[in-house]
Amino acid sequence: MKSKFVFFSIIILLLFSNKILADDKALAGADFEYGQHLSGECVTCHNSTGLGQGIPKITGMKTAVFIKKILAYKTKEKKNAVMQMVADRLGEEEINSLALYLSKTK
Amino acid sequence: MAKITRRSFVGIMAASTTALSMPSIAFGALPRVVVIGGGAGGATAAKYIAKDSKGAVDVTLVEASKRYYTCFFSNLYLGDFRNYGSIGHNYYGLAVNHGVNMVHEWASSVNGAEKKVYLGSGATVSYDKLVISPGIDLKFNSVNGYSPEAQSIMPHAWKSGTQVQLLKNQVKGMKKGGTFVMVPPPNPYRCPPGPYERISMIAHQFKKTNPTAKIVVLDPKNKFSKQGLFMEGWQKHYPGMIEWISADTHGGIKKINTSTMEFETDLDTFKADAASVIPAQHAGRIAMNAGVNKGDWCPIVPTSMQSQADENIYVLGDASIAKSMPKSGFSANSQAKVAANHIRGSLTGSKVFAPRFANTCWSLVATNDGIKVGANYDAKPDKINKTSGFISKTGEDSNLRKATYEESIGWYSGITSDMFS
Repeated sequence: MKSKFVFFSIIILLLFSNKILADDKALAGADFEYGQHLSGECVTCHNSTGLGQGIPKITGMKTAVFIKKILAYKTKEKKNAVMQMVADRLGEEEINSLALYLSKTK
Repeated sequence: MAKITRRSFVGIMAASTTALSMPSIAFGALPRVVVIGGGAGGATAAKYIAKDSKGAVDVTLVEASKRYYTCFFSNLYLGDFRNYGSIGHNYYGLAVNHGVNMVHEWASSVNGAEKKVYLGSGATVSYDKLVISPGIDLKFNSVNGYSPEAQSIMPHAWKSGTQVQLLKNQVKGMKKGGTFVMVPPPNPYRCPPGPYERISMIAHQFKKTNPTAKIVVLDPKNKFSKQGLFMEGWQKHYPGMIEWISADTHGGIKKINTSTMEFETDLDTFKADAASVIPAQHAGRIAMNAGVNKGDWCPIVPTSMQSQADENIYVLGDASIAKSMPKSGFSANSQAKVAANHIRGSLTGSKVFAPRFANTCWSLVATNDGIKVGANYDAKPDKINKTSGFISKTGEDSNLRKATYEESIGWYSGITSDMFS
């Protein structure tokens, strides 16, 4: 009984720590509260109900997808003057915090 | 229940005092924020303080209208791109989703020393922090011959509502081949590209139903926002219809006569069949009344949007002096989030983040021909400072202009949802 418990605990711990390590690696400096605060700038245009027209929904977006898009605006690879300007002043901490918050918001 | 802190204890004391001085509206012991004005600044501030404090701050929004018609996009109503109902919004979302107390009354005065707002009904509301976001009022006498009475003959239509409907009726009813005279306001004013988008939308209306009509613009300025883009669009879509005359060319509007519909300038006297006169502007009356103005507008602390005259009062949007930020709904919404974060921090100890400001103004020149200008700003100790920006280019292809127009529709949906739901 006891050994079974220790075994499962180790498995769970391993799984959990791997998850944390993976998230940490992808989202350095990410802070949910900061992301929520920063998202105030996004929802002026990106409808928070997801019913926007002409501007895509960004809530619920996977972190990797969001980061890739923002970086493409930063390098001017993606063309939209407003988004290039928005991306321009976002540093890594801001991008990761936004990615974290938006990925967890419906 | 939250434990009694020194701040909430003070709140309880204040509430008790208020309760004694009837008539009054007292909302209990939570820290109290009162917001005057339910537009892009005020509605956003009320929502974000209530939403993010999750009930730890009592928020009251004082707004006379039960249904609010946005000034932005009212030009699109003039051009038949929107119906009037689509630019009207109510406050149920703020009340139901975020617990904002709605008071549909005029705020008549503010006592900063006692932290009280006096309402039109004679009731008072006490506050710990007050947000004033009243938009603009008009300086009717800035144009010789214009007056509050004249606004029904030559509508300014610069505060949305029935004035815009009146203007549209006058545009549609103007005699065939007649002349429409437009007088834009001098700087600084609400919505810098707005008068020129209005000219575009009136021209769009005339092109459909009154193609030999003329529009004469008697500008008190020598240049205007997105000038190259608008002029290119006017030439392309409405050739020969619009004559824009700069201040240096007409030498100043000496007098207007609402009976004869004449506009007297050094250059000539222009006779109109219909007209719109947008006079000079100042901060909404309640801001002047609260004494947070310096001249026509209200100086603010750039990092927080607090009034320079009273640290418990925040001034947002058109009424504030935000230096390089234009007076726009987008700016007001952006400023509201900075103020909301600061207010919540000072009342509940929540984290206060570095202020970030942004603005974009979209304008419609003709069907599927949208243009835009925008900028990022940061807070320097003495002013809100532009850090980067962009503007649409002349000669852009029609697909990009169409995408810009569609983006503006998305923005309208986004900002009104951000303000009201």
